[in-house]
Amino acid sequence: MSDRPAPSQDAMIFLDGVSKHYPGQAKAAVSELSMEIKRGEFVVLVGPSGCGKTTTLRMINRLVEPTRGRIFIDGKDVTHADVDSLRRGIGYVIQQIGLLPHLTIADNIALVPKMLGMKRTDRRRRAEELLELVGLDPAVHVGRYPKQLSGGQQQRVGVARALAADPPVMLMDEPFGAVDPIVREKLQMEFLRLQASIRKTIVMVTHDIDEALRLGDRIAIFGPGSRLAQFDTPLAILSNPADDFVRDFIGSGAPVRRLSLLKVSDVLASFPSDMPSLANAIEVDAGETVHRALELVLASGAEGIEVGGAGGTSRYLDLQSLLTAAAQPTKVLS
Amino acid sequence: MSTAAVEEVPAPGTRRSTTWVLPLVVLILLGAVWAYVHSLRMDSIEARSLAAEVVLTALWQHVQLVVASTLLTIAIGVPLGVLLTRPRTRRAGAVVLAAANASQAVPSIGVLVVLAMVFGVGFWMAVVALVLYALLPVLRNTMVGIRQVDPALIDAGRGMGMSPTEVLCTIELPLAVPVMLAGIRVALILNVGVATLAAFTNAGGLGSVISSGISLDRMPVLIVGSALTMALALTVDWLAGLAERVLRPRGI
Repeated sequence: MSDRPAPSQDAMIFLDGVSKHYPGQAKAAVSELSMEIKRGEFVVLVGPSGCGKTTTLRMINRLVEPTRGRIFIDGKDVTHADVDSLRRGIGYVIQQIGLLPHLTIADNIALVPKMLGMKRTDRRRRAEELLELVGLDPAVHVGRYPKQLSGGQQQRVGVARALAADPPVMLMDEPFGAVDPIVREKLQMEFLRLQASIRKTIVMVTHDIDEALRLGDRIAIFGPGSRLAQFDTPLAILSNPADDFVRDFIGSGAPVRRLSLLKVSDVLASFPSDMPSLANAIEVDAGETVHRALELVLASGAEGIEVGGAGGTSRYLDLQSLLTAAAQPTKVLS
Repeated sequence: MSTAAVEEVPAPGTRRSTTWVLPLVVLILLGAVWAYVHSLRMDSIEARSLAAEVVLTALWQHVQLVVASTLLTIAIGVPLGVLLTRPRTRRAGAVVLAAANASQAVPSIGVLVVLAMVFGVGFWMAVVALVLYALLPVLRNTMVGIRQVDPALIDAGRGMGMSPTEVLCTIELPLAVPVMLAGIRVALILNVGVATLAAFTNAGGLGSVISSGISLDRMPVLIVGSALTMALALTVDWLAGLAERVLRPRGI
């Protein structure tokens, strides 16, 4: 046992060389994949179709049984654990939403708590709590049937249902794929806010690189043949794509996309602290994104930005320096 | 959000307003037969064949035949249908369905006669024949009803930690209920009709009234037998429709 890799202390999900080989298929759907996902981390699996990202996700709750390798959740080897109790401890959200049409919203949300033996009145209260959490009015929605809700509302209920038993881990398979683009963006932003407060360990699958960049703490880009091409933060992936496949996959516009991931403080760090002060600067918080800072500068016609520091010392950065720094990924990140 | 509050699920069975039509037709039919019989000057053969006791006994036997055979059909067809949709038996399902289809093509009188020749005559023999005959719609609709359940729902159920039995009981069966009920309704109606043939194997029923009408050459007897069979079929259909409405899960 001791020579096999074990999950580190802060790992929530640990895949140790998992492979999936479907009978009758020449190539493995996933081969020898190892990944460590930390507690409270939001990891997005992204890649072209057929790259094994969904198979990987479904191996975590063993809806797909791995042919080889081991799966750890919260430090425990669950490769051969009882699947039903394993899955009750993992939230699961799918693209098709999958609300049971013959059950009310409250009963749908309470499915897992019911299996876990929660009392009826507690289940009801929990359902109301969760509806509130995902932004639906409990008074209006508890007694309704899924058909009476819009697609966006249904997927909120889908998220509430996955959260019902307060699982530490959530798996999401293209959760925002079935709703129209405007609702999708709204749901994504809401979900990010929600995640900031609940801090679950989330693994999400998408084929949309923009969604991945917007949501993920880290992104795993799968290449053809289920190769894990790069597994890193969005900023690192945009700044230093590992290979041509990743570069192609993130597409053009990477430098512009980076602007909304870079913080003003990141850029400031690459400049000496005694940059000349500017007469006409607009004040910006160090935690703002460079994208937002540029927006403010361009809108106000200022020469650059002024960032308030501790003890009343301000630092200045003119527009040109801001852009230059933002355009030089390696320099900023090193 | 308040605008969404006015949406309502359409009532299952939007034909609510027409539920009184069938019982009305039955009442008119029975009233017409009653008036017709009482307008006749019956001879002794007709009077004997249409005595209230004789007719009511035949009706009661008929109801018993239909109820017993339908209950047995459900008791066999539903579990068999469920069994044949499990992943391990899906292949066998196709074979059984084909066999059941073939049995449906055999004329019912033939089934009755062959069974009577092999196993003898009587009430239970007729029930066996009726079950064989009515099994197909129940079996087929159970299988179709379960197979048409959206696989995404089953995936969601498995993914949240339901065992295969829990998936069957909380997802597959409830969602298959409308289709299954439609099959049971067809079986019931079939049984009311086919049970008239049970008279040929000495199992009684309204068929005996009809056949004595034919063999004695008495039109009024024949008419009463047929009209009562029709009235029974319509009543059963009406009741089955009501049951469907009550048993259909809300929300679908």
